[in-house]
Amino acid sequence: MTEIRGTLRFILNDSLVELTDISATRTLLDFLRLDRHLRGTKEGCAEGDCGACTVLVGRVSGEGIAYESVNACIAFVGALDGAHVVTIEHLSSPTGPLHPVQQAMVEHHGSQCGFCTPGIVMSLYALWMRMPEPGRQDVEKALQGNLCRCTGYAPIIRAAEAAAGFGRPEEDPLVLERSGMVAKLRALQDGSRIEIGEGRARLIVPSDVEDLARVYAAEPEATLVAGSTDVGLWVTKFMRDIGPLIFIGNLEQLQGIEDTTTGVTLGAGVSYTRAAQVLARRFPQMAELWHRIGGEQVRNMGTIGGNIANGSPIGDTPPPLIALGAKVTLRKGSERRTLKLEEFFIAYGKQDRAPGEFVESVMIPALPAGEQFAVYKISKRREEDISTLCGAFRIFVNDAGTVGMVRIAFGGMAATPKRARAVEAALVGRPWSAETIEAALPAFSEDFQPISDMRASADYRMLTARNLLRRFHLETTGAGQRLERGAA
Amino acid sequence: MNITFKMDEPVGSSLLDHTRQNVISRPIDRIEGPLKVAGRARYSAEFKFPGMVHGVLVGSTIPAGTITGINETRARALPGVLAVVTDYETFLRNPGQGLETEAPAQGVREIAYFGQPVALVVAETFEAARNAAGALDIAYAPAEARLDFRALQSEARPKESSQKSQGDLDRAMMDAAASIDAVWTTPSQNSAAMEPHASTALWEGDTLIVYGAYQMLSSDRQQLADALGLAPDKVRIIAHYVGGGFGAKLGISQESVAAALAARALNRPVQVVMTRQQVFEATVRRSETIQRVRLAAGADGRLTGIGHETITANLPDEDFSEPASASTQFLYGGEARRFGNSIVTLNQVLSASMRAPGEAVGMLALEGAMDELAEALDIDPVELRKRNLPPRHPMDDLPFSSRSLAECLDHGASAFGWADRNPRPANRREGEWWIGQGMAAAARSNMLITSSARVTLGTDSRALIETDMTDIGTGTYTILAQIAAEMLGLPVEAIDVHLGDTAFPAAAGSGGSFGAASAGTSVYLACKRLRETLAERIGATPEELVLSEGMARRGNAAKPFSELVTEPLVATATVEPGKTEENFVQAAFGAHFAEVGVHVHTGEIRVRRMHGTFAAGRILNEKTARSQCIGGMVFGIGTALTEELVHDTRLGTIVNHDLAEYHLPVHADVPRIDVVFLEERDHAANPLLAKGIGELGISGAGAAIANAVYNACGMRVRDFPLTLDKLIAHLPDPDAVQP
Ligand SMILES: Cc1cc2nc3c(=O)[nH]c(=O)nc-3n(C[C@H](O)[C@H](O)[C@H](O)COP(=O)(O)OP(=O)(O)OC[C@H]3O[C@@H](n4cnc5c(N)ncnc54)[C@H](O)[C@@H]3O)c2cc1C
Ligand code: FES
Ligand code: FES
Repeated sequence: MTEIRGTLRFILNDSLVELTDISATRTLLDFLRLDRHLRGTKEGCAEGDCGACTVLVGRVSGEGIAYESVNACIAFVGALDGAHVVTIEHLSSPTGPLHPVQQAMVEHHGSQCGFCTPGIVMSLYALWMRMPEPGRQDVEKALQGNLCRCTGYAPIIRAAEAAAGFGRPEEDPLVLERSGMVAKLRALQDGSRIEIGEGRARLIVPSDVEDLARVYAAEPEATLVAGSTDVGLWVTKFMRDIGPLIFIGNLEQLQGIEDTTTGVTLGAGVSYTRAAQVLARRFPQMAELWHRIGGEQVRNMGTIGGNIANGSPIGDTPPPLIALGAKVTLRKGSERRTLKLEEFFIAYGKQDRAPGEFVESVMIPALPAGEQFAVYKISKRREEDISTLCGAFRIFVNDAGTVGMVRIAFGGMAATPKRARAVEAALVGRPWSAETIEAALPAFSEDFQPISDMRASADYRMLTARNLLRRFHLETTGAGQRLERGAA
Repeated sequence: MNITFKMDEPVGSSLLDHTRQNVISRPIDRIEGPLKVAGRARYSAEFKFPGMVHGVLVGSTIPAGTITGINETRARALPGVLAVVTDYETFLRNPGQGLETEAPAQGVREIAYFGQPVALVVAETFEAARNAAGALDIAYAPAEARLDFRALQSEARPKESSQKSQGDLDRAMMDAAASIDAVWTTPSQNSAAMEPHASTALWEGDTLIVYGAYQMLSSDRQQLADALGLAPDKVRIIAHYVGGGFGAKLGISQESVAAALAARALNRPVQVVMTRQQVFEATVRRSETIQRVRLAAGADGRLTGIGHETITANLPDEDFSEPASASTQFLYGGEARRFGNSIVTLNQVLSASMRAPGEAVGMLALEGAMDELAEALDIDPVELRKRNLPPRHPMDDLPFSSRSLAECLDHGASAFGWADRNPRPANRREGEWWIGQGMAAAARSNMLITSSARVTLGTDSRALIETDMTDIGTGTYTILAQIAAEMLGLPVEAIDVHLGDTAFPAAAGSGGSFGAASAGTSVYLACKRLRETLAERIGATPEELVLSEGMARRGNAAKPFSELVTEPLVATATVEPGKTEENFVQAAFGAHFAEVGVHVHTGEIRVRRMHGTFAAGRILNEKTARSQCIGGMVFGIGTALTEELVHDTRLGTIVNHDLAEYHLPVHADVPRIDVVFLEERDHAANPLLAKGIGELGISGAGAAIANAVYNACGMRVRDFPLTLDKLIAHLPDPDAVQP
């Protein structure tokens, strides 16, 4: 029988926090600012968009701790058991010297009104620990999730590039004290389930996947919380009553990454950041897409399982995974079933998932030799923006130059992520040529009747979707290079 | 010692050019920087008092109508809820406009726009208040709402005070060798300062104290007092640090009055922080505009006529109208002239001043039109502008106080490498990108606003500056310290600057680019007064006096301050605008240059580099000034390419009321930006000889980008922002020019 603990435990900066009375929907930001009066961490939006609330969360990983930036405004305290939370207050004491990253920000004038500054410092701190001398692109990537309205960013980027000149990570307290912290965090892990609160307000952290399977089967009306980059907004923005919360973000068994010759299997709890490492290697065509999902904080939090399970028509992972023929494994109690990812999406807001059933893993088959694959994300703002549409293409052209196999999937074109079966049918068996493409274009209107919304008109979506097929054709036949390059 | 100085005559010289401390203008780091990077600067939502409770505003869910009842039962029954506070008469309907001294529009029973705050739910915790806010049942009698700006433009009513005309523009257009007559449209926008509006209110006896996120404390205090029926001296506003404003915090907004009323009703301190959605829905916006610009020119490129007429929107009873032609009126010559605004009444959140009201969007149209005219006449765009600089104000016949625009154009052109530009559009291709270059002039009016400061020279050779001036990120703390250090011969570290508290002398506040020069002048004058006392004490004339390193010197004689100042010396100075305001055209000027890439297949636009050369009188701190310009230029990128508040024309809602969908530029959008300041002194502006700089960087920046887009791909888009869907259908054949 699983032990049940009624206390949530984590380390905040340098002190142990033990909570026996915490609301399941308490965000980390409100906890810091309102309960702990740690007001260095700011609130600019409460929905993950601005990064003013960035803090670091460290978790034991192998022999060390991986510290990652997260948006405290949409992170729940309930997800923090066994973690080390580091806020801006930890970087320097009121009387001591500034941290190297802070000093660089002062000297390069990276702060004006100062409201975005603590969040930016934390993002840069995470970067500096990992990569003390970053290139400009690394800096931009680390700061994708941080908005600043005052500085115009240039001074911040200069500060980031200069930070190593003010001090090296080897001397940083978090690095020096890492082994001690590992021991402290290990000591908090006792293999028990956590339950706090009553009835619909309950907070549950299962002890492992078996425990999750039991708890969820028994409480199918509960809401699973993985990275909370969706669920966080239900609380802060939509004020939805979402019943007991089951926190699954840190269940070790959902964190697995299996990389074999036949394909890659990702546990549902694998974050975008961790998935990116293996997927960028196995499917380099997807690398750019990964870097354009959310900002760094969202990529550190959000999970593959969440991106699939939420059923959003504009999620970025389903189109490429459908095109690649991915399969998803669902589990309820001790029962498992596996289905094609495209079959999982039934209609808007409706997936093939029974009450009490959860996504356990997703298997992405390796790209067979000779096949070509690409995915394109089109968004209004290039960085940190939800897709207007996302198109993925996979094709096998046989020696005769005809299309042996083709698979096309789009997000943002229908109520679910969806295959373009009519277009596929118009291509297969025909020469992979500009003429075939042109002849196939009308089939798009059989597959899709996109809507007009603020992101784009239906016409724009249709035109762009067709252009993407043209582009894929050019890329696969022309110079063999990707038709995209930074202008700057 | 109190002195008042009125700016009636140009000043001959400034002491700042004679004190030789090498502190003024130096690019020193901002003095409060260490506090900010450590998260220790405290903003208005970060004060906590014993017994403090939290309020959450509830907004209307219809765009027009009347409240017929509020049922509190469900909300009150929730745990932790203390009160549902509303006051149909006293609650603010709209935020105030900047510099107003009367209460903004009050009364919330009538609904004028979607999201109008109508009640405040107060609870022990923020979470409880937020929950209960969602459970407040409000019944409405809806009325028909006016929501579609473009459809209603024919009903715009002229704003009389803005109508100006000279000569016969229609005739000039007919006789012109070349003319432009076109319409530009710009969308509704939001300042989107990173700190949401917030107030923490508490009563001490009959005095109200509000920690508020505001830009102009002295007029905000009057607005708040008037709204609550209090004498101004019974209201104290504190805003030590403000997380950006860009116009959105010029006047008071609804949360202050709500928090004050709730604090009085409950006899407890109340904190109200607006959500990001509320900031979008209920504070202020920049109006959408429809701008018709007409240019008539001879074959030599000299303008013979210029017209700039603008339609904007605002709520019923509000007459602010984005003054899009503000700089058009004096930037270029041409005998025949016509300017004027008209306003469409709409049920949408208040239109008011956002960074560079007028120029920020007006110059998109004017400078776009100038680019089109240059092409029509086959004259280089830089040259066209230089040919049309009027010797004096073309209508008022006043001299310019200073204007280094020609120098900025020349310097900018050479620094940017303008000579290498190919004037023919769609003629430069690199890989998958069309490359283009564009330019625009920058101009922004300069103002002086009454401002006071107190400077105390202590017995410890330190000086203390006190004024209710704010620092909203602009660098006020730092430049005031620099002015005092320069004037008093003390190191910057020996100056303490206390800002953001109406208990201190009333200042201009931060707005309209007038803050630094106005508040700076008051500090300058107070220090000048202190210098006179020190001069007397060592028996020198003020001219003979030299202050440095905490010593007063006259020739070879020197005495330390510690001997001269045995009691703290206090001087309070006030500067007031005077006749130089009426006798001169005052503005800061500059030139923007931009290079962009337009993707040949998708129409995506990337800004590759920007250059700005500016002249704004004396630059008080080269680093803070540069940041202001870079920040402004990036605002310009947003204005040109991404920012657009989308109003639903059926429901009255704002579709993109969050930072996910209201697209500010992000780090990766920002190219290399160079900023250069030219030496200049403006003797009619103020005794510092400085002009405002906070809004100059945005004025014209977006136009340079749009002109570069045209040069890149040959598409003139006059409907901002330039999103890719507006380009994609009309992109030139990618094979026309090979890379
Ligand atoms: C600022 C911001 C930017 C974003 N940008 C992008 C973007 O560019 N592209 C994009 O695709 N998305 C984006 N998102 C959306 C979000 O990141 C994704 O949808 C994310 O993948 C959700 O994963 P999560 O782990 O955070 O899910 P959660 O919020 O924890 O959960 C989402 C849903 O999935 C359910 N769920 C989670 N795990 C499981 C499981 N194992 N089994 C069954 N149900 C489960 C939850 O109950 C919930 O219904 C963005 C979000 C934010 C806040
Ligand atoms: S407060 Fe904006 S991302 Fe958290
Ligand atoms: S410094 Fe003001 S938002 Fe970044």
